[in-house]
Amino acid sequence: MPGMADITGDSFSASLVRAAFLAQTRLKALQSRTARRYMNLHALSASLDLFKPGAIVPWVSYLFPTELLTSYRLTPMIPEVGSATLTGTDLREPLEAAAARMPLARDVCSYHRIALAAVENDMLPAPSMCLGTTPLCLGKECLLEMLAVRHNVPFREVRVPLPPDEGETSPEVIADVAEQLRVLHEDIGRWTGRKPDLQRAIRLSNRASAAWGHLMTERLAGRLEMDGRLTFAIVFLGQLLWGTEEGAKDFERLLSERGRRDLMAPILDGGRRLKRLLWLHTVPHHDTEIFDLIREQGAVVILEEMGQMHLETVDPEDPFPGLAGRLANNVLWGSSARRAHLNVALAKQLKVDGAVHFNHWGCRHGLGSLPVVRSAFAQAGIPFLAIDGDALGRGGAQQDKARQAMESFLELL
Amino acid sequence: MPYCYYTCNLIPLDLIIRAGYTPRWLGGFLRDPTASTRRDAPSVHPMTCPYVTKLVAAADALFGAAPDGGTSDDDASGAADGSRPAASPDVLVVPGGCDAARRMGDLLAATYPDQVFVLPMPRGSEPEVAETLATDLRGLEDWLGACRPAGTAPVTDAAAATDTDQREPTGALSNVTQTDCCVPSLDYPSPPRQGGVFVIAGPLTDDSLLRLIERLGAHVSGLESCTSPDRWRPLAVAAGAAAAMSAAGATREAEIDAATRLAPLDHEALAARLLEIGMCPRRSTTHRRDHLARRLDQSRPSSIIYARQSFCDPGAYDALLAADLAKERGLPYLEIEVDFPFDANGPLHTRVEAFLEAQLLDEDLLSDLDY
Ligand code: SF4
Ligand code: SF4
Repeated sequence: MPGMADITGDSFSASLVRAAFLAQTRLKALQSRTARRYMNLHALSASLDLFKPGAIVPWVSYLFPTELLTSYRLTPMIPEVGSATLTGTDLREPLEAAAARMPLARDVCSYHRIALAAVENDMLPAPSMCLGTTPLCLGKECLLEMLAVRHNVPFREVRVPLPPDEGETSPEVIADVAEQLRVLHEDIGRWTGRKPDLQRAIRLSNRASAAWGHLMTERLAGRLEMDGRLTFAIVFLGQLLWGTEEGAKDFERLLSERGRRDLMAPILDGGRRLKRLLWLHTVPHHDTEIFDLIREQGAVVILEEMGQMHLETVDPEDPFPGLAGRLANNVLWGSSARRAHLNVALAKQLKVDGAVHFNHWGCRHGLGSLPVVRSAFAQAGIPFLAIDGDALGRGGAQQDKARQAMESFLELL
Repeated sequence: MPYCYYTCNLIPLDLIIRAGYTPRWLGGFLRDPTASTRRDAPSVHPMTCPYVTKLVAAADALFGAAPDGGTSDDDASGAADGSRPAASPDVLVVPGGCDAARRMGDLLAATYPDQVFVLPMPRGSEPEVAETLATDLRGLEDWLGACRPAGTAPVTDAAAATDTDQREPTGALSNVTQTDCCVPSLDYPSPPRQGGVFVIAGPLTDDSLLRLIERLGAHVSGLESCTSPDRWRPLAVAAGAAAAMSAAGATREAEIDAATRLAPLDHEALAARLLEIGMCPRRSTTHRRDHLARRLDQSRPSSIIYARQSFCDPGAYDALLAADLAKERGLPYLEIEVDFPFDANGPLHTRVEAFLEAQLLDEDLLSDLDY
């Protein structure tokens, strides 16, 4: 059975292994016909193309408006997605060993540490360009620019001022960010020598956003109960697919009951009510036990903070202001006070029983806002649990502790 | 004059003084580690750099209201300097250069409403960035004006805003007494010379790391630190004149002289100057790399020591950069993880000693070679 190590090479045999691996994933998608399976297939297929010789590999930050890339038929390489994927495969061990040998401090965000170790050891493709955004954190900008310097490729950072604590970002700020995006879109064309088709990318992205936005509206209104741990993965992987035909179809599959049937919240025997949790920040990707525990205890992550993106469409005739607005008003961007009151409002709207903040290893952005978020929840009288962990971790004492804390929390609810 | 505490040296002291405040670096007012903490004191996650952790505690000792509405617990045991009681007219400015600092600002602003200003600090230095920073500096100035208690006035005499001597703030601060003002007391124990250790560090309280190097028989070739005098000193000088003079290649004395004759604050020039001076680890990697390379080429060190605060993201990536620069130049390189305040004893002492000894040994061996 071939493993990830055989897939990421650029030899002929690696391309055969890739084809076989994709065929397997395609079969699963065809059998299940769910959005989730198709999304896995399409994200994997697009990402594997990045390993082909001569591929253009744009390393971008998680919130980067990837339509600027799909306009040129480019697939983004997002370090967080790359790290989460690789640490879930048989490359995990060599990758961890490579990361341990690296001189980069161990206390930085593990998404970035692992991504750096992967690219330095040919487990992720080297960048052709590095494109950052000030949201959400400084660490990934440091990583992206350092990679650009090391690989002697262009680096750009989209500067996005912090939104006000209350209300939306001003039109002047949006116009400034939009202009940066417009220039950057042109630059990508110059660097790659490709012709853009941004309108097409936006129209496809809009199809996906309309579907996802509709779903989120239904979830927020309480008419649809989905499992937030699973929908988290949809948005996480979806970052690779916005603006593509496949992405549009996959998100639209979510509109049918059949297409979303493997993402739904469990239904308890005897019509018992589920305990509803709001999940803040990222998830421990490889710790299934904590979510098994949640299910076993009759609870569900009813909504995930990070799912709140691409909720509206943008104007295909003039897309830059819309893309800029999305970036500038992202719910995770801004002061801790903004994050706190948005989440408390969300929790109230969803009538959750409690909120869980995942303190991801090394994330100054998330950990830094924790005290303000925690106290806002306390003031609102909503039970709040913060658990320490590594989003890429698997097992270990920290996860045991997190599980125990979760167990007590759920009992308390 | 009320105090304006600040957390990072990229604050133009001139602006603060002109606004009618006495500037005080919060790092000079760390809480006595043995003092008891207020029950509701803000706390940060343990995965936060010691600098931010200690500054949050220091801020609470200064700004935290006592649980009973009287004086804070800390007033008895208190901040190291015997801080002011709660509800004072003092304010705090937190430049948010990195995520940890930005979040510290958020936390303190939420805990002491209306007493904290978070100043965004950009990575780049493009004209648009400088423009935005100039606007933010104007915002800071307005905010300071709005917070200033009735009965106090802004400083209109430009000469009052030009004290730049770090150890003894002298007469130029007409409304500010020497003991009131506080800037980091970090300077070279002896003049830097080529062929020694180049030290790159985050914030340092004092020169103990440099003295440790000297005690161990080496000398210092240069220092790059958040608190080094070449950061804050030029910013203490009024903006417009300083920018103009330094662009014209003037000496520091001439800058100060020009500043004393300065008219209203030129926010654009100040922003540009701030970005030019503040070439710290949070900055664009390319610019920072060029800056460090230039400093290394000027000071021609024989080795590099990087003193990084634990849990510091910009420092972590900056240390990689420094390691690359050391490798390119064939210089021995040591990275140490340090606390705030810096503790020159214990394991750190041993690591620095072993590193320097290895170099001295190399030098001895080389000089013994006889061809
Ligand atoms: S987890 Fe935190 S530090 Fe890591 S990429 Fe996300 S925002 Fe940045
Ligand atoms: S730059 Fe580093 S040491 Fe300074 S406040 Fe930020 S994390 Fe702390």
